[in-house]
Amino acid sequence: MTPLRHRRRLAAITVAAASALFALAGCAAPAAPDTAEFADWDAVLSAAKGQTVQLWMYGGDDQGNAYIDDVLAPAVAEYGVTLERVPVTDTRDALNRVFTELQAGREDGSVDLVWVNGDNFRTGKEAGAWRCGWTGMLPSMANTSADDPLLQSDFGTPVDGCEAPWHKAQFTLAYNAEAIPDPPTTLAGVLDWADAHPGRFTYPAPPDFTGSVFVREALASVSGGADEVPTAFSQDAFDELTPALWSRLDTLAPNLWRGGDTYPANETELGQLFADRQVDMTMTYGPATLTGLVADGTYPAQTKVLTLEDGTVGNASFLGLPVNSDAAAGAMVVANVALSAEQQAKKAEPDVWGQFPVLDLNALSAEDRALFDALPVSPVVPPYDELSRNAHGELAAEWVPALDDGWRQNVLSR
Amino acid sequence: MTWAPVARRAGSPREKLRGALLVLPAAVLSLVVLGGGIGATALQAFGLLPVVGRPTPGVEAFTARPGELFAAVGVSLSVAAVSTVLAVVIGTLAAIVIVSRTRSSRAVAALGTLTVTIPHLIAAATVGLLLSDAGVLPRLLGIPPEAWAPWVGGPLWGAAIVELAWKESAFIALIVTGTLATRIQTYDETAALLGAGRAQRFRHVLLPLTAPTILIGAAISFVYALGSYEVLWLLGRTSPEPLPVLAVRLFQGVSLDSRPEAAAVALVTSVLALAAVALTFAALRRTAAWR
Repeated sequence: MTPLRHRRRLAAITVAAASALFALAGCAAPAAPDTAEFADWDAVLSAAKGQTVQLWMYGGDDQGNAYIDDVLAPAVAEYGVTLERVPVTDTRDALNRVFTELQAGREDGSVDLVWVNGDNFRTGKEAGAWRCGWTGMLPSMANTSADDPLLQSDFGTPVDGCEAPWHKAQFTLAYNAEAIPDPPTTLAGVLDWADAHPGRFTYPAPPDFTGSVFVREALASVSGGADEVPTAFSQDAFDELTPALWSRLDTLAPNLWRGGDTYPANETELGQLFADRQVDMTMTYGPATLTGLVADGTYPAQTKVLTLEDGTVGNASFLGLPVNSDAAAGAMVVANVALSAEQQAKKAEPDVWGQFPVLDLNALSAEDRALFDALPVSPVVPPYDELSRNAHGELAAEWVPALDDGWRQNVLSR
Repeated sequence: MTWAPVARRAGSPREKLRGALLVLPAAVLSLVVLGGGIGATALQAFGLLPVVGRPTPGVEAFTARPGELFAAVGVSLSVAAVSTVLAVVIGTLAAIVIVSRTRSSRAVAALGTLTVTIPHLIAAATVGLLLSDAGVLPRLLGIPPEAWAPWVGGPLWGAAIVELAWKESAFIALIVTGTLATRIQTYDETAALLGAGRAQRFRHVLLPLTAPTILIGAAISFVYALGSYEVLWLLGRTSPEPLPVLAVRLFQGVSLDSRPEAAAVALVTSVLALAAVALTFAALRRTAAWR
């Protein structure tokens, strides 16, 4: 091959590659949401008929999957909406899909609803990835309390009608009463117990969300209570409060499972260690799963929920509707049905999913209220009012990546 | 170049056109996939394709986490190198057993073929179940979890190396068997008739003639191990992270800056893989059989 021809071929390849890239990169502007698309709820209902809604949600919870497929999907089918569940290992995967589609300029997005809260919601809101101001149209919103702080602000980010409430959750520690006859009653006590029993405690490595919330709880504990940590993030507060946290977790590390040399990657791996009796405590945002895990023998029969005097963090989770969804009306119908008293009560049954309702139970009609009063009691998990006693709200979403990163730098790579 | 063309004469213009047209679909496909994929990654890594806001060209994404990036390069290269060496040694020995036509050769061939068909994810889960602290092996041996060496998530990446070496050795065994089953066997027999011992035949006949195959197999296996996510994520530890695990964690990070950083890590991984392939071809030209 002569040098000249070689060069010409190279030039041709470069041009072809470059044009392929421009084709990919050229249309990266996100579409602007059309806020006044629907005149009223009837317009939404008629537009929703025949639409297929893809709900992207964490797929590692069998009960949650079964609830969507067997209870919620048939209920929305009555409105002519087909609900498809897309399981993801992390909500970030769904958000990343939305970002990628927005980057590519797709206006017929494949993500119609995302089960979301916290930092994912904030990041999406920053990027303008959510449709906003639509939840006010949902008739079921009347059942929620207008001044419920958990529904007004999602980890410190104003909700602004950009997501419809779905569940409440309470961070919960559970222990094996057979191994710990006299359990600690505060989070500081839990850390001291872990120091006194080397190798019997660990927590998932942040940025896993369970490990991440544990680090936030430890921050509240070493700071002298949740009230001492300002909800809004500021670098000054971070610099002032976190040295004590890192030093506490650093002292704790050698007494963790495997000497703090490595950590479980997520709640599932921690649960596996708990099931194998390698550790005596586990933790979860979804205490509802405990009942089933004890009943089927995965977890020790003596598993008990550890109620802490200083309380644990509670939050709400939501259904977010991406701006580029191609089935927005259908997604609104799904969010509305999911928020109805029947669905919220069904979803709260421990055998179904055991998720705590977001409704204002005192404001419900007697008929709807009876649905909740009839809920069975779990032998492992106490009722929501007991679980959420002294509960505190989530810190602002900006705290989460800062603490996750700080943990990696100060505790993990010590 | 010595790409061993079928015909050594230059083709007629018509033949050349036909050749070019035949190659075109494959060339276009790889150009779009490779050029688009790696190109989009490079654009993001250099800050030219942000999720929101204006493009800000620069190399910040590469310099943002020097410690983590160097540690990741170290872990990835070490795990890939160790598992590739193990795979080459085990795979080559298995291939020699397979072509030896002894009683055990059929069993080894069957095992090798079976192993190749198992997906890496399943293999990784299997190795995890077998070797984890409360896994099947320590339970069978009656060893309590505390006393069992930390294969899964341990500092030496034992379980991940075992998985990669196991799967890749089967692959290398099969391709080396393919080479050995050709005329090489007649050379081997000739050497034997001339009085060469087993070790001599292996050293002077089998090894030089199979060297190109082994090199190519090793390169494929090394590059695979370098880019493997699921095996290292399932069986590895929290820190330091291998390149693909770091890239995925950053890509999934909530902060919008972490996407370019993820793209930078992915680009570094691709460059390392390309360098490994380039070195292999350089080494290949030096082997006796290639010349």
